[in-house]
Parts: sequence; structure tokens; C-alpha cells
Amino acid sequence: MTIRREKAERLADEELMPLLGAKDPEAFEVFYDRHGGVAYSLAYRIVGERAAAEDVTQEAFISLWRSGARFDSTRGSVRSWMLSIVRNRAIDHLRSKAGKAPKLTFDDDSILEQRPADELTDAEAMRRETADEVRGAIGQLPGDQSKVIELAYFGGFSHSEIARMLGVPLGTVKGRMRLGLEKIRGELAEGLA
Amino acid sequence: MTNEHDSRWSDDVAAYALGALEADETRELEAHLEDCERCRSELRWLTAAVQVLPEGIERVEPPPRLRESVMTEVRADARREADTSGSRQHGGWLSRVRVGSFGWRPVAALAAVALALVAVAGYEVGSSDSGNGAGGSQSPVVTREATGLVARMVREGDGGTLELANVRELPNDRVLEAWVRRAGEVEAVPALFVPDHEGRASTRIADMDGVETVMVTSEPEGGSKAPTSAPLVTMPIP
Repeated sequence: MTIRREKAERLADEELMPLLGAKDPEAFEVFYDRHGGVAYSLAYRIVGERAAAEDVTQEAFISLWRSGARFDSTRGSVRSWMLSIVRNRAIDHLRSKAGKAPKLTFDDDSILEQRPADELTDAEAMRRETADEVRGAIGQLPGDQSKVIELAYFGGFSHSEIARMLGVPLGTVKGRMRLGLEKIRGELAEGLA
Repeated sequence: MTNEHDSRWSDDVAAYALGALEADETRELEAHLEDCERCRSELRWLTAAVQVLPEGIERVEPPPRLRESVMTEVRADARREADTSGSRQHGGWLSRVRVGSFGWRPVAALAAVALALVAVAGYEVGSSDSGNGAGGSQSPVVTREATGLVARMVREGDGGTLELANVRELPNDRVLEAWVRRAGEVEAVPALFVPDHEGRASTRIADMDGVETVMVTSEPEGGSKAPTSAPLVTMPIP
């Protein structure tokens, strides 16, 4: 382990971004180690195949590296920005495979859950807590609301496509999306404020 | 703000945050958002909920080879970047631009998506004011588009640097991506790039051998596997 990597490990994500923009491989390695797991998990959740998830994750990280990690802090955290890139890539992959249906559950066998608490950094512990809150919030949603949110976010389907799939009016789908998101946001309000 | 307003836009804002609006609805809502702070505020509120959705999914451990593969590519890029740094030429070239009448050749094997979008967008492929700087294979090639965008390709050894000027500001979630056509196949140029505040941008194309056409498109953050928008510039390479 080099001194440089040790220094990079002490930096927050936002502080790593200029180093990524300067094409620093050590900083990028730290960035990958922090977020590669959730990125791969999201890709796998969307595409449903390990090989495809690997391709999607690799493409997303390499594109991020090559674009100079152009991060806009007004649009959210580094992690959510990176995950949006992974999601876009994964949805592109899904669409290229012509409408593969996503899984429709928020199952949890989190690897993080299996790790001893003393191995978790503060940031990881906070993410674990957030993950618990998200699962709790989604778990409390009526099934019709969680379903349209999952079809849109993890399946990449438009509200029109979802309306056709579920046989309900367009306005109903959009209304369920709004009600579901508002409930999730409300449940998480303190943590996200 | 009326209830009529709420009922019309609130549902659309939620669908938009999830990326689930159709294209025409997206354009309509984005136009509305420019003038409606209430909807912008609601969008910020709901977007935070969307952004945490991945945190609730089942974690799957990535295989170690994925990390190795990513970092191998990253380190190779870094080495190439180090090798080519200092050889790029920036700034001041626009004053030396010479524009001729380089006709656009149909690019039969360009990605079908790109061609379709070019046709749909009414891209003026035949009327681009484009030209060849000096005619030799190592001389700069210059193309000026009807939009005012000027592109210049400077050959350096096996590769070259593509320099753009007068590039319009991109939305925050868009980047420039260059493409080359070689032996009928379209390839993405690895490095994505963005214009600076003066509308200038450049990217390195490592291997120009056999390249017939260079094209630049605006793509979503992270780039695309194939062009998804009409080309901002199309540069035939003599």
C-alpha cells in the first residue's frame, strides 16, 4: 500500500473527485473499492445476470474514469451520481436485450449485514443504516406503489409501458409513483435532510 | 398555485424523478420546471427518495476479477495519458482555421441508431461547410458545421487530437463522445470530454490508422455504446 493510497483513503468522495479528474489511478482505485460493491449489486439487480452485471459495472466505471469524473455536487452525492451512471448503463443493456423483466422484490441478504460491526467504517455504517431505512420505507408501501416504482427504476419502463403491463390507466400509474416516493421520502426525511 | 396546477404536474414530477416519463412529456415538464419553483422544489425532494433506492437492494459481492479488469484498463489509460501529455496543441488554432468545401460522404456502416437520428433530426449532411486544411495526411483537417462549431484534427504519429471550438454549453448530465468509422465499423473513442467555458474541447484519438470519418455526439453522462443523438460534427478524413 502506498502513502498516496493511504492519503486517498482518508479523503471524502467529494475530495476524491478532483484527483479522479486529474486521472489519478490510486484515487480511482479507492473510489472503486468504496462503491464497486453497490454498483455491481445495482447492475445485477437490474440485468439479472452476473456476466452482464460485470460488463455494465466495468463500462460504468471506465466511462466515469475517462470522462474525468465530472461531478456536480448540486445534483446529489458522488455515490448517487455514480449509481445513476450504473443504472443508465444497466437499463441500456436491458433495452438492448428487449424487455427483460426485472425481479420485483427488495430481498436482503446484504453482505454488509454479515460483516462484524468493527469492520465497518463510519461511512459504511451510515450506508447500512440508510439501507435499513430504505428497506423499511419500501416495505411499508402498498404493493401497487412499490411495484410501479420498481418497474420504473429497476426495470427502466416508462409509465405508459407500466400502465399497459398492469392494465391500469396512465394517471393511476403516475399517481402511485408519486404517492410511493412521497412516502419513502417522508420516512427518510430526517436522515436525508 | 392552484389545485389544478398540482394535479397536472405533481404526478409528472414523480414519474420524471424515476425516469419514467415519455420523451414529449419530459420536454413539456422541463419547460415548466424552468418557470416553476414549486415543482423544482418537489423534484429535489422526490429525487432524494429515488437516489436512495439502490441502497435498499440485496448486496451481491462482485468477483475479484472485475476490480482487476477495471484497474488494468485504468492504469493502461493513465500510462497512455502520460505518454501523450505535452504533445497536444491547445489554444490559438481557431485563428488559423482554413475552411474549404469538403463534402460529406454517406457513411453507410455508421451505427444504425446514429444514422436514423441524423435523418430524423434533419441534420444538414450535405450542406456542412467543411474542408481540408492542406491536403496531406499529416496536415490538419478542418470542418465547420452549419451550427458554427469548428473541428480540427491534428495528426500526431499514429493518432491525432480532435479540437473543437464554438461548442455550445452542454447540460450537466451530457458529455461529448467521439466516434471513428474504420473499415465500415463504428468505434467509440474511449475518452469522453466536455467543452470549457469558452466552448473549446479536445480529445485524443490514439489510433487514426484507416479512419475514414470522425464524428462527435452529445451523450448521456458516462457515454454510450453507440451514438444516440445527431452528430454535432462529422469530419471526413482524407
